[in-house]
Amino acid sequence: MNNVTFGRYSPLNTFTHKVDPRNKILILILLMVSIFLQFHVWSTTLLLSGVFLILLICLMLISKVNFLDLFKSLKSMWFLVIFLLVIYVFIPNPTYKFVCYRFNDHYAIYWDSFYQSGYIILRLILMISLTMVLTSTTKPMDLTYAFEWYMTPLKVIRFPVHEIAMTLSIALRFIPTLLDETDRIMKAQASRGVDFNRGGLFKRFKAVISLIIPLFVSAIQRSEELSDAMEARGYNPREKRTRYRKLTFSWRDIIALLFGLAIFGGILYLFIYDHNVEEIDLFMQIFGINVGF
Amino acid sequence: MKKISVKNLCFSYVKDEPIVKHVSFNIHEGSYVSIVGHNGSGKSTLARLLIGLLAPDDGEIYIDDELLTNKTVRNIRKKIGLVFQNPDNQFIGATVEDDIAFGLENRQIKREKMHEIIEKFAKRVGMEDFLDKEPSRLSGGQKQRVAIAGALSLGPEIIILDEATSMLDPKGKSDIKELIEEMRKDNPSLTILSITHDVEEAFLSDEIIIMSKGEIAFKGKPEEVFSNREVLKSLNLEMPFIMDLKDRLKSEGINVDKSKDLDEIAEVLWPLK
Repeated sequence: MNNVTFGRYSPLNTFTHKVDPRNKILILILLMVSIFLQFHVWSTTLLLSGVFLILLICLMLISKVNFLDLFKSLKSMWFLVIFLLVIYVFIPNPTYKFVCYRFNDHYAIYWDSFYQSGYIILRLILMISLTMVLTSTTKPMDLTYAFEWYMTPLKVIRFPVHEIAMTLSIALRFIPTLLDETDRIMKAQASRGVDFNRGGLFKRFKAVISLIIPLFVSAIQRSEELSDAMEARGYNPREKRTRYRKLTFSWRDIIALLFGLAIFGGILYLFIYDHNVEEIDLFMQIFGINVGF
Repeated sequence: MKKISVKNLCFSYVKDEPIVKHVSFNIHEGSYVSIVGHNGSGKSTLARLLIGLLAPDDGEIYIDDELLTNKTVRNIRKKIGLVFQNPDNQFIGATVEDDIAFGLENRQIKREKMHEIIEKFAKRVGMEDFLDKEPSRLSGGQKQRVAIAGALSLGPEIIILDEATSMLDPKGKSDIKELIEEMRKDNPSLTILSITHDVEEAFLSDEIIIMSKGEIAFKGKPEEVFSNREVLKSLNLEMPFIMDLKDRLKSEGINVDKSKDLDEIAEVLWPLK
């Protein structure tokens, strides 16, 4: 059951690992918004996406994220890629201008559709990689603490922030335990003649049921024992608790945050300029080449 | 001084199917008592009753002469550390240090002090090199030692081990047994109540209570309990290895009653022809 490699935390000691998780989440959101901004001139959007790609590769190098892991997780996206391509290419859109191949008077394939689907796939890859940088450089528990911190204002409206954070952290803590359990039950059922890999849909469904029911029963038993153990150690969600882990903001966070804000600010400025003043053609301005049609 | 006093305790999960029937006993401060019995004998239920996780149908539990009620339960729990059977299901924190910290956080210990306490008790159970390790990278015995450290870090007066060794391999078991001995040396006033079906482990304690079908079947010193083959047979319990050996040697006409452990028996045996 060790094939769940995507975005798994790798215990290293890089700059990115040391940045405060709250800060990392904020920067991730800023960068994601920047990636999503689309400009009027397609070459500008593409050029900026390229800039993001280079930045991302630098970030992954700094964070020592395993590129192989990323490719593995992207490999499973091929179905989505084909799906998007088919949808964009074959469904007509009145805003498309540049004909690639004309079937008849009413139906044609446009270059724009290739650009659109390619751009969406590129965005997806960027987002997935960014999220992967976050999850592989931040302990799941630290992420929970960060979410709890962001949700703190909700305490005012009696939203059970602490309880949710505690539930989340216990769920994370039990993922490996339950994976082991799944493995064990699968082996136990296989030794009793259950085949998980062959047979028709109905047969397979039955096989999965024989896995899920024991897994649920054991999870419920575990939760019962766990709640006893928590109570025996004096846990009371309504009472005040102190904290062993403390999130601290350091100089690294200031650098990282400035970096994130600079990119976000820059892109946002270009975006507003593009939409309100005049269309920007970066290729034209930087290289003096007109690639627009 | 009486530490735990149980009077006429009754409990049933389902009506008319009592799990614990009119159980009474006293446990003195600083003693190490084992409760032995088979599955379904009511011994684990007894542990949950003692710490107030279950409420008795009838009877009273006194801890330090204080009656266990809804009002006193929180205070009484502070005196008791409980270690459960399944090492996985009581590991709450993400890492060893977080798990030991869990109880301390509940007690509202200051953060600065917590680190010191965690280090001290991790060292006590020999887990100081594993502080940042996740539970999935630890063995059952190591997880159980962390659970003991978590219980000890809260400074309890009573430790209840609810079949704490039953899911461990032999090495894990002997480690925990050694740890119990060391805990008693560290703090002679610590009362230990061990619920077990391992007769070898029970043999090490000061007093043994044998439970059968919800009732106390036998109570006394380990030597008394385990020397009587008939009683053990009727309760379906094994004899500890050393008692069995002594008994068999005796039937061969060799008296080793004075020997306390295997080495001493060997001393008696080797000069014989």
